[in-house]
Amino acid sequence: MSRTAIFGALAVLGRSVLLVIGITIIVFILLRIVPGDIVELLASEGGFSTGQMEQLRQELGLDRSWPEQLLIWSVNALCGDFGVSLRFQRPISEMIWSAMPATLQLGALSFVIGMSLGISTALAAAIWPRSPWRAVVEALNVWSVALPTFCVGFAFILIFVLWLRWMPLLGNLWLPVLVLGIDIAGQIAKPLLEDIEEARQSAYVRTAQAKGVSHRVIILRHVLPNALPSLLALTGLVLGGLAGGTVTMEVLFGHNGLGRLTLDSVLGRDYTVTQATVIIIAATVVLANGLVAMIGKLLDPGREKMV
Amino acid sequence: MTLRSAGRLETAPFKLALPVSIWIATLLLVGAVLVALVGPELYGLDPLAQNLRQRNSPPSVKYLLGTDHLGRDIMTRLITGLRMSLLVAVLALAVAAGVGVVLGLAASAASGITSRVFFGFVDLLRAMPGVLLALVLVAALGSGIGPVALAVGLTFAPTFALVAREAYHRERALPYVAAIAACGAKPMRIAFSHLLPNIIGSIVTQTAIIFPRCIVTESVMSFLGLGAAPDSATWGRMIAQASRFFETNPTAVMAPTLALAGLTLCVALIGNEARRRLDPIQRHLAR
Repeated sequence: MSRTAIFGALAVLGRSVLLVIGITIIVFILLRIVPGDIVELLASEGGFSTGQMEQLRQELGLDRSWPEQLLIWSVNALCGDFGVSLRFQRPISEMIWSAMPATLQLGALSFVIGMSLGISTALAAAIWPRSPWRAVVEALNVWSVALPTFCVGFAFILIFVLWLRWMPLLGNLWLPVLVLGIDIAGQIAKPLLEDIEEARQSAYVRTAQAKGVSHRVIILRHVLPNALPSLLALTGLVLGGLAGGTVTMEVLFGHNGLGRLTLDSVLGRDYTVTQATVIIIAATVVLANGLVAMIGKLLDPGREKMV
Repeated sequence: MTLRSAGRLETAPFKLALPVSIWIATLLLVGAVLVALVGPELYGLDPLAQNLRQRNSPPSVKYLLGTDHLGRDIMTRLITGLRMSLLVAVLALAVAAGVGVVLGLAASAASGITSRVFFGFVDLLRAMPGVLLALVLVAALGSGIGPVALAVGLTFAPTFALVAREAYHRERALPYVAAIAACGAKPMRIAFSHLLPNIIGSIVTQTAIIFPRCIVTESVMSFLGLGAAPDSATWGRMIAQASRFFETNPTAVMAPTLALAGLTLCVALIGNEARRRLDPIQRHLAR
């Protein structure tokens, strides 16, 4: 492994860390320009006196300047302490720990199933160019662009839960995984197929053809490895979309996951929770993308277009 | 990518031989726009009027699609919801394109440190999952038509900024820009009076790609309970409210779901076709 490859990989990692810091600052600022002070809001609901409001402000550290608050929060967060929920008076880290497994399970399963589905349909369409697989790739693409996941989720609930009565609704894992998986497959299948077809024009493919290598072997052994970096770049979009998709799926299927926690905190104006969950989800996505990009760098240090 | 070498981006000669699916999608979309414009007035029922004796009633002559859990006419709510969806989506699109293109072009023309800082910020916003960004923006801006349109618009603005930058650098290499610069035009003037008219094609294509996403994001927001005013009829909210009763009244869920899926499908088909025809090199930018 060359030194440039390792330096490139480290640079990618450094960029992700910078992105996480930037996102933390943006979310911090956005949630502080919220119309009205959180304390005043709580006070109007709970009927606090002015003295109590001041005390609460001090407890929450809201009397300090924004940079100070940000610094204190970040240091605590790095130690695993995200503060206390304003609404439930519970440590936020506890709430996050209990919500994390559901989301990770849903996200990871959807990701694996979606990626395998997308890659295999794209490959099938590339290997048998005049087969219906092409139409399947097109259909998957239109499906994922046009059909919001919560609409598909409802359709699946109507079909599989209410009509066929195959499975229960609440806590169902496989339906949301199916919904998100098809969505992911649709996002990657077409770009991947387009990349493979672009690569088919290359000189190395002509050389292989001239040597008499079969079409299937050319696709699998020569073209696919060259399409790998762009596939890695696509996973970036997939992971970002997945973070949003899990929110609606958790709401629809009654999972108590991170997305649900985020949404409830926004609806209940529990901003300390919103801040923590949004930053954690975004950081996870960014770092996962950074890891993927790092692998891409190590595989192919010359490639500049990595995201 | 060979298309770039020809200097100006050459597009295939425009043929009007559109696939049947696009014709159908266009007709349906035009119909939807007409319904959104005049439908609520023509149909004449109040989307908020409750008939508590007729809750969750099946389709009938009086209520074409039946009523929801509060006895409100679903057909009427569907029509006003269409107006709301299209209105918010168009406003959001205007915000996204306006903010994204103006700032993107200005930053590209400014070059140097300004450009770097701005596009670093753009990268930051794009690194955040879209729905999460919209969620935080709605939390910060509040709910209602304006704030939601603004939040959805700002979520998609970074994509337009990147399109503007790519188009800017593509055009700047061409001789006409050098000619204007030789006449003494300042970078900003070049960007906005001379480059902008030439890159409008890329921007329009991007609008066609982003529009269905605006519709979807708005519906997701209102489905999650963060959309326009709580009692106004939006499709996402109709779906969310009716979902509690879908065993007794499946029409109330299915009608807005199918309507939403149909609308986004039409818009997305048209957007795809526009992209395929007008700008084949942008495919990696779309998000």
